[in-house]
Amino acid sequence: MTNKYDVVVIGSGVVGSSIAYHLSEKKDKEILVLDQSYPLSGTSGSTQAWVWVHNKTPAWYGELSMLSAELYPFLERKIGDVEYKRTGGIAPFFNEADRESARRLAEKQAEVGIDIDVLTREQVLEKEPALSANIAGATFSKIDGNVNPFRLVELYIKAAKKNHVQFSFYNPVMDIKRNNGMFEITTEKDVFIAKQIVLATGPWTREVGKLLGVDIPVKQVRGQILVTEPLAPLIKYTIAGMRQADNGEILIGYSKEEVGYDRRTTLDVIQDTAKMAVDYIPALAKANIVRCFAGVRVIPNDGYPIVGPIPTIDNAYIAVMHSGITLSPLVGTLMTELLTDGETSIDLKNLQLDRFNEFKSFV
Amino acid sequence: MDDSTIICKCEEINVAEIEQAIQSGAHTFDDIKRLTRCGMGPCQAKVCSNLVRQVLRESLHKPMGEISLPRMRMPLKPTRIAALAGQEDSSSVISLFDETAPKAGDEES
Ligand SMILES: Cc1cc2nc3c(=O)[nH]c(=O)nc-3n(C[C@H](O)[C@H](O)[C@H](O)COP(=O)(O)OP(=O)(O)OC[C@H]3O[C@@H](n4cnc5c(N)ncnc54)[C@H](O)[C@@H]3O)c2cc1C
Repeated sequence: MTNKYDVVVIGSGVVGSSIAYHLSEKKDKEILVLDQSYPLSGTSGSTQAWVWVHNKTPAWYGELSMLSAELYPFLERKIGDVEYKRTGGIAPFFNEADRESARRLAEKQAEVGIDIDVLTREQVLEKEPALSANIAGATFSKIDGNVNPFRLVELYIKAAKKNHVQFSFYNPVMDIKRNNGMFEITTEKDVFIAKQIVLATGPWTREVGKLLGVDIPVKQVRGQILVTEPLAPLIKYTIAGMRQADNGEILIGYSKEEVGYDRRTTLDVIQDTAKMAVDYIPALAKANIVRCFAGVRVIPNDGYPIVGPIPTIDNAYIAVMHSGITLSPLVGTLMTELLTDGETSIDLKNLQLDRFNEFKSFV
Repeated sequence: MDDSTIICKCEEINVAEIEQAIQSGAHTFDDIKRLTRCGMGPCQAKVCSNLVRQVLRESLHKPMGEISLPRMRMPLKPTRIAALAGQEDSSSVISLFDETAPKAGDEES
């Protein structure tokens, strides 16, 4: 291992490993990925992993998610079977009064090419008979699906390694300095020099940003998920709230709590989630929960991804977002364009760090 | 134990698969779990926990005391959803639909 690289990516969750892989396809840069522990120990290993598009608003954000979902079949041909399934997605509503906002959503998303049907109760139940007869209707789109996040990250890394990307695990970054236009990155095990640096540090981005002298406006939001025993096929679609994996387990949950980096599961949220499961799919009452897990989302303060250059530091870049599973193929592609050519095929203006008033740089 | 000995009965993971995970850089039970599903089945690592730690100890040449246990997850024993679901309306769970659907009067953008 040399100590000099063209690009050092910090973080090998789904975002960092996608960036490293996509960048390595060009085969013209020496790339190193650093991680303080092991891939999947962060948020990418504790996620629902929907590739979810249809009710991402405003429409430009929906469009971005759609473009990324479109890349999945192609990605899978390149890196292998990541168990991506374009199941179609159902977001149920329980009040007839919500039909109006469902229609408005469909209209808005149609402007960017996202097809949404607003379904009646009968239409939803015909599609997904296990759903509760208490629902009033649902929005539905064919573009939504889900993926196996473990396979996804593992195969990004395998494919990147094949293209000679170096990885150093269990090696936290402790300090970053600028030295003659290069970055000097001090880790627990070594010191590395890089021309370009990418922060893909998920929920730790605030801390790692500080090493570079920037304060990045993101917050940590816990989510808790219940996992059932493997069940016979029960739900066919990705439902806003749950999905069934290839092995029959159903992952249930959609909760948000700002409690810092705390990955404990708590009985109150588990109970509420169990209640939601039964409200949505009555047959789940009889299913066994085998385990629960919690992950910590990183959510930029305005809710949208931060992708692009760090405006105050030449050659430093950042990619931090919620919905990184959905967005990883696109973010990897865009970051590759940016790091290689300095410009991107899709305008990043909505995603730049300097859109925040509260963005602070100390350098 | 030889390579084909099953360590995790729930998910049918053998010694060779555990060793391969360690070779690709896994240092803890939880790393191995995410790569192989070892310990994620109905018994929740009750059977395989110490066997995996043994393989880790041998491969990493560390004393057993330094090999951490897998993270334990509620419920420790499979539990019916009906038993967990209380009667009250759920409060901490958000509806994705409610959260994202544009409401009347939302700004255009
Ligand atoms: C409950 C839950 C459900 C979710 N559901 C979905 C979903 O359905 N669809 C979807 O698209 N998204 C979903 N998400 C969000 C998605 O999982 C995240 O957006 C994504 O995993 C973020 O990936 P990441 O690579 O940015 O972060 P991480 O996976 O957390 O990776 C960051 C990495 O940086 C490393 N790191 C941090 N600091 C340092 C340092 N100092 N030195 C070296 N390395 C460091 C960490 O070790 C870690 O491996 C969900 C999240 C949660 C919690």
